[in-house]
Amino acid sequence: MERQEIFDGLLEIFRSVRQIDPEKLKNATEETDLVADLNVPSTERINIVIKAEQVFDVQFDDDDVDDLGSKMKDLINLIIETKKIV
Amino acid sequence: MVSPNRKVAIVGIGGVFPNCKDLSDFKQRLFAGESFIREWDETLLYGSSFRSKVSGFIDPKDISIETAYCSVVEGYAREYIDTLNRIPAGNMATSDMSAIGSMLGALGAIEMAGWTESEIQSEQTGVVIGTNNGGHALERPAWKGIFEKQQKTRLMGAHSAIRVMVYREAANVSGLIKNKGVCESIGSACATGLGNIGYAYRLIKFGLQDRAIAGGSEGNSIETFAGLDAMGVLSRGFNPEESSRPFDKDRKGLVCSFGSGVVALEEYEMAKARGANILAVIDSYFNNVDGDGDLFFPSFSGQKRLWKGMLDQHPVRPDVVKVHGTSTRAGDPVELFSVVDVLGDQGYHISAPKSQFGHTLGAAGAIELITAVMMLQEQKVLPCLNANNFNTELEPLQRTAEWDGPNYPINHYKHLISNKIVEKEINQIVCLNYGFGGANSAMSISKPS
Repeated sequence: MERQEIFDGLLEIFRSVRQIDPEKLKNATEETDLVADLNVPSTERINIVIKAEQVFDVQFDDDDVDDLGSKMKDLINLIIETKKIV
Repeated sequence: MVSPNRKVAIVGIGGVFPNCKDLSDFKQRLFAGESFIREWDETLLYGSSFRSKVSGFIDPKDISIETAYCSVVEGYAREYIDTLNRIPAGNMATSDMSAIGSMLGALGAIEMAGWTESEIQSEQTGVVIGTNNGGHALERPAWKGIFEKQQKTRLMGAHSAIRVMVYREAANVSGLIKNKGVCESIGSACATGLGNIGYAYRLIKFGLQDRAIAGGSEGNSIETFAGLDAMGVLSRGFNPEESSRPFDKDRKGLVCSFGSGVVALEEYEMAKARGANILAVIDSYFNNVDGDGDLFFPSFSGQKRLWKGMLDQHPVRPDVVKVHGTSTRAGDPVELFSVVDVLGDQGYHISAPKSQFGHTLGAAGAIELITAVMMLQEQKVLPCLNANNFNTELEPLQRTAEWDGPNYPINHYKHLISNKIVEKEINQIVCLNYGFGGANSAMSISKPS
């Protein structure tokens, strides 16, 4: 799975999160920060992780979720790494 | 400022009511004498497990709420969506249906009260709303995923602890309106609704708050329904609309129902000074516990002490007694005899709104106080629907050696109990509610002068 494909899939997930302003997603890049740029409440991040697991058919390690950074690229990297292990 | 002379006004009402779209729909159909009780499809899913099949339940669609289910945890409501955008998505995310009902009720009550943003967000504004059940509708499917399928706990979502916590209604309402006074919840089973309003009344009466959003709420819960069905206290064997029949000699039990009732309370002189539409004035509130060690059976002496406590605070001569009137074999006679023991058998009517929408448990005291406010507004007594025939013989408790109450059968008091709406002058109503565990609560309200 290509990075761009994962990025597009994550954007689709973010669009389904009712607490994210869709306007803020228009110029999103891998450097976009969920907290600083998208104002995602900290508690909402775990709900995004759950959706990512479903969409990309992976199950993250609990410790990896704990250590996950808040940028789009952090989530993309985790998905790629987890898929490699599997 | 602490002052026992402060009075408390009801300046707003709101809520979510069984089988109704909104407050005005509820009011219109209440005074048309309708029943809101239906066969509950959830009970039908479990075959013969449930003996009772009827309820005044909340269909989210009736109040324009959609449910988004989790795709991997079967039956788990990942989030609820307010299709009318009355509640922001962030507040919906931390709520179950009971909290949503409380928020909708609070918004309605505040709009009616006409409070400004600075009044709402004041340190002098409190939120006191309670419930009777623990958020089972969310917990059951989530726990099934964890304990039976070894699914990750995170599939419950990050908000699950808040969505089921015991004061979720108060917390979510407070989060929505951003008040800065107290935010808490009192539980006393089926006295919860009136108990929370009574506590809020005391906060204002004794100067700790100037305003309060108060009430009780009960989200649909098949688990709560099951517990009551197990006790054998639920009505069965009648058509849905005939199932709740307080005081009728053929009554078989209560109808387990759900909903939310919220009132806006305000210190009387402040409400008057800003020209508020005062719906009613609270004369007094009193509560106690039976003290006989019996957590189930109602107590005649406990209820007599309840009346005495209320009368000692403030003499009342109600035109209507809005009874708890559950339609159970045990509860109705004890309550009727305690009322007539204090008030005699002339000069007032008995109203049992549960006959129309069933027993909304933790919401009952709040929703029924709202019906009492409506009776003051309409000058009409809501009926004891289906109270068609009365026992002409003494009740078993009247035959016991220790009985010291009235010695007439229920039929002797049939002139107090109408199965139709009665039009009359109504200036004062006493509201009564009781809860398992022996909790008793009474509030008197009057038409504003």
